[in-house]
Amino acid sequence: MNALEVRNLTKTYPDFTLDKVSFCVPRGHIVGLIGRNGAGKSTTIKGILRLITAEGTVSVFGKDISQDEMAVKQMIGYVGGGFRYYPMNTLITIRKAYAPFYPTWDQSKYEKFLAQFGLSEKKKVKELSEGMKVKFALALALSHGAKLLIMDEPTSGLDPLSREEFCDIILQLVREEGVSVLFSTHITSDLMRIADDIIYISQGSIHAACPLEELLGKYRLVHFPSLAEATAANAIGVKSVKDGYEGLLLCDMQNSGDTVITDATIDNIMVHLEKAAEEGRHV
Amino acid sequence: MFDLVKKELALCMHPTAFIFLSFAALVFVPYYPYEVIFFFSCLSVFFCCMMARENGDIAFSCTLPVKKEHIPLAKMLVVIGLQCAILLLVGAMGAIKGAVLPAERSVNQAGISANIVLVGNGAVLLGVFNLIFFPRYFKAPEKIGVPFVIGAVSVFLLIGIFIVLRQTTPLYSVVLNGLNSEYSAAKLAALTIGLVVYTGLSVISCNLSMKNFRKTDVYGV
Repeated sequence: MNALEVRNLTKTYPDFTLDKVSFCVPRGHIVGLIGRNGAGKSTTIKGILRLITAEGTVSVFGKDISQDEMAVKQMIGYVGGGFRYYPMNTLITIRKAYAPFYPTWDQSKYEKFLAQFGLSEKKKVKELSEGMKVKFALALALSHGAKLLIMDEPTSGLDPLSREEFCDIILQLVREEGVSVLFSTHITSDLMRIADDIIYISQGSIHAACPLEELLGKYRLVHFPSLAEATAANAIGVKSVKDGYEGLLLCDMQNSGDTVITDATIDNIMVHLEKAAEEGRHV
Repeated sequence: MFDLVKKELALCMHPTAFIFLSFAALVFVPYYPYEVIFFFSCLSVFFCCMMARENGDIAFSCTLPVKKEHIPLAKMLVVIGLQCAILLLVGAMGAIKGAVLPAERSVNQAGISANIVLVGNGAVLLGVFNLIFFPRYFKAPEKIGVPFVIGAVSVFLLIGIFIVLRQTTPLYSVVLNGLNSEYSAAKLAALTIGLVVYTGLSVISCNLSMKNFRKTDVYGV
């Protein structure tokens, strides 16, 4: 049974459509949701949490959220980009209002997280740094025994050390507690470290949903000395760089000439596939 | 639902929600349209909604394990509790005023006297405000101004109607005016009608708000 299954999630705005998005998060996996700004990552997450009215079905550990919203949300821990609520309230006030919603709330676990994260409950939310806000959101989400963590750009605004620490915490949770994670981010280096699978969303549609290794193994980044050579090689999403041109080649595509081939990162793949999509090329 | 109400009380109450309850004491001011006291109750709802918006309260609530439509219901239950408190306080203050002041000083020349009819009038005003404000607010919780202005204008129009009735009709200036001990049955009937109207309008408002909020897209998480 998958931790999360999303089927044909569709939301139509006047200028944007989330188009029949379907994917799953296998139990115990960290799944990265990537895509450029406005691609539909946050809309997908809002649709999953029923913050917006969207068509399609969402089930968590086999339970349909539209049938049993309260039970399903008990299993979910949501972490946005920091804790942006109630800036004038202290953490203890917020925790006291939050904890009673969860019969499985574990106060000792919460206190352990506070100690681990160096958080004081006497502080007001506005007194926390961005990193501390994310950690507080994480402490709340994890202390009620969430089996599925849904995180919407939680590492945005964090410095590299805090991001590293955050990724370590997520890895520890997955390894020790079997938590499953859906993690939307722009900072793909975080995903390179911790993700098992990648869902790549572009212009409201899923372009790729596969294991990270499979995605990385599918393309090579190729540096061409001239545009003519890039075009001749049928490279994907060719763009001008400092001393030549760069594009993606599928691993099984042949290339010749004076080219430099390197492994593609998630960023490389996103950049060139988006470029190809802009040019209307089917990849 | 109980937890949502507790969360509302802990995180979403603007101080004016409680401060304005003390405005029930305005019934001791001579020559004053006492129905205005109930407008302050409406104003405190506006401040609470503003505070909820600034705190991202609705988005936060939507991530909790609750049914989406229970969020407006909890907010409205808290407001109804506060409205019942102001109605009770105005009734109690009016009774105290009637008991401690000479009868001629209890009669209000600017509007209805501080008796149980005033409580009935207040109930109608609050019921109308609930019906106008909340269903609109829960359609787009980030836009509080327009629903409040429509609700406030309606409340003041009704206050104007009550004042005109007080000045022009014997029913309001004689039978329903003055101490509770005079024309008690008529005054009790006016109070009952007010409370029934309040209950009916508030129930309709709750249902419409829940229905509207189910379709509302919530942002800011």
